[in-house]
Amino acid sequence: MGALSIRNVKKSYGDTHILKGIDLEIDKGQFLILVGPSGCGKSTLLNMIAGLDDISSGEIAIADRVVNKLSPKDRDIAMVFQSYALYPNMSVKKNIAFGLEIRKVPKAEQEEIIARVAKTLQIEHLLDRKPSQLSGGQRQRVAMGRALARNPTLFLFDEPLSNLDAKLRVEMRTEIKLLHQRLGTTIVYVTHDQIEAMTLGDRIAVMKDGEVKQFGSPQEIYDTPANLYVAGFIGSPAMNFIPVQLGEEGGHAVVVLDNGSTPQSVRLGPISEAQRAFVGKQVILGVRPEQLTDPESAHSDRTNLQSLQATVAITEPTGPDTLVTVTLNGVKTVARCHPRAAGHPGQAVTLVLDPTKALLFDPASEKRLA
Amino acid sequence: MAELAYHQTTGAKVARYVIYAVLIAMVLFYLAPLFVMLSTSFKSLDEIRTGNLLSLPSSISFDAWRAAWSSACTGIECGGMAPYFSNSLKMMIPAVLISTLVGAFNGYILSMWRFKGSDTFFLLLLIGTFLPFQVIILPMAQVLGMLEIEDSTTRLILVHVIYGLQFTTLFFRNYYVTVPGELVSAARIDGAGFFRIFFKILLPISIPTIMVCLIWQTTQIWNDFLFGVIFSSGDGQPITVALNNLVNTSTGVKQYNVDMAAAIIAALPTLIVYAIGGKYFVRGLTAGAVKG
Repeated sequence: MGALSIRNVKKSYGDTHILKGIDLEIDKGQFLILVGPSGCGKSTLLNMIAGLDDISSGEIAIADRVVNKLSPKDRDIAMVFQSYALYPNMSVKKNIAFGLEIRKVPKAEQEEIIARVAKTLQIEHLLDRKPSQLSGGQRQRVAMGRALARNPTLFLFDEPLSNLDAKLRVEMRTEIKLLHQRLGTTIVYVTHDQIEAMTLGDRIAVMKDGEVKQFGSPQEIYDTPANLYVAGFIGSPAMNFIPVQLGEEGGHAVVVLDNGSTPQSVRLGPISEAQRAFVGKQVILGVRPEQLTDPESAHSDRTNLQSLQATVAITEPTGPDTLVTVTLNGVKTVARCHPRAAGHPGQAVTLVLDPTKALLFDPASEKRLA
Repeated sequence: MAELAYHQTTGAKVARYVIYAVLIAMVLFYLAPLFVMLSTSFKSLDEIRTGNLLSLPSSISFDAWRAAWSSACTGIECGGMAPYFSNSLKMMIPAVLISTLVGAFNGYILSMWRFKGSDTFFLLLLIGTFLPFQVIILPMAQVLGMLEIEDSTTRLILVHVIYGLQFTTLFFRNYYVTVPGELVSAARIDGAGFFRIFFKILLPISIPTIMVCLIWQTTQIWNDFLFGVIFSSGDGQPITVALNNLVNTSTGVKQYNVDMAAAIIAALPTLIVYAIGGKYFVRGLTAGAVKG
């Protein structure tokens, strides 16, 4: 039993099914990320955890207490909103105190809590200001302060950083992570940004069309995505999907990659049972850009790296690396190379592929062939 | 912009002066009746009879104003406008306050606590804003009869509250839809209930809209003649009806100066309200139209 359990939760409006049976469970102190494109139901799910939205069926339990019928104020939660939702007519101090006053916390204790929260978030000098006199980052802090003052079992964050500019977003991201480490609180965090998801989460639920496509740790989701959708959603630049015909050779999966002039056979890892069923059929090879690189940048300790020839179509320098686009089996494929080894358009380059990291997907079911 | 102004061509300058000239002419045209009213009200009857309509009074006399306020005859009563002025106040203040508060409440529910059919409900209310006064007179008279309300002021308060509600609801609803719903969500999580959210959070940020409603309703109710003449009687009549009676009382000489003074007295409250609250009115009407 965990800090938050979501069991077969569904939400429909008439015939429109927003959530189609969600099952999630996290332990105390964990940082859960709900990530997905807009309209995937992640915010609806968060609102249902908060009690702002009704559940059509299923069960939500916070700290082992089923809260389906409880009103938001009785769920022992606090929430930070995308628009911050600070009360415009109240000073920062009043904003933080509002919930405490309603809860009839004694005045002296209120002062104490406000002072502690303000110190934690370094907003002591802002306490007498109105929200309209604050910058975006400061409003964000106040919104978090209001949540912290409650000292709840569960924190809910609804895209809290998406109204900030890029630089501030990275700063606040680190700060939220730091706060989580320091306070050890349980957090549910909704975002559409896969980088935020990767950097912040202990557990990530990748959602699409009202379903959880995969639920796991960031590294699991990154290294072994359950399906094409998760594989393509997480990671930037996105994973390359190359259609190939699967073969088998000496217990290893083998695929042929054609650079336009020469077909080259590439030996992947040991073939699994699931993969063997697809021998001779079309599958999709998933390769992350950093696993396709120039020989120099490749990890020298890796044995059986597979090398292949390709012609550079475009180079995009990012600074530390240069993204090199080549064509393999007729699709544009991005390789992440050292700037020195990137070559220029039209030039032939040698790339090496890490066979242990390459993934295979069933094109019909879109599931990974484990 | 400033740089552009320096390099204006002669043609542009001429055009600008023409625009000013036209604007000034319009201002004079619109202010002329007020000027005539004011100057006439300070003249003596003799001067009105012999003099020019547009000329200034030769000497300022407040006799007409005194008469209009306390001794002019409206029909058979000869107590001036004073009692009717107070009637109008007694009717207007509660009617304005009630319709504004209830409108705010309606707007709050229609924007933040949508219920099944709330949009249809709002649409029906909207239709109410297009209904002319005349259409509702008969049904209103029947309802008032059924309710057996005798007192003129109470009857008029009820009528004006009901007729004004669709406007105040519209104003508040349109303002509250621009307020992020997350504000209400945040307050609910903080533990605030339906009424606390309304009184502690939404109402305090609605000052511009409250001003719009106060001005709108004050003007509507104070200036109303039709409801006043139909649903009130005798000494309970509002000032607009009394003014009509005063001007139409045809015994002896027509006292234009008194008529004018009485008309200005009747118009004064709305003028004052506009002078004080005009800037809020514009600000409130455009609130939410532009972000910020």
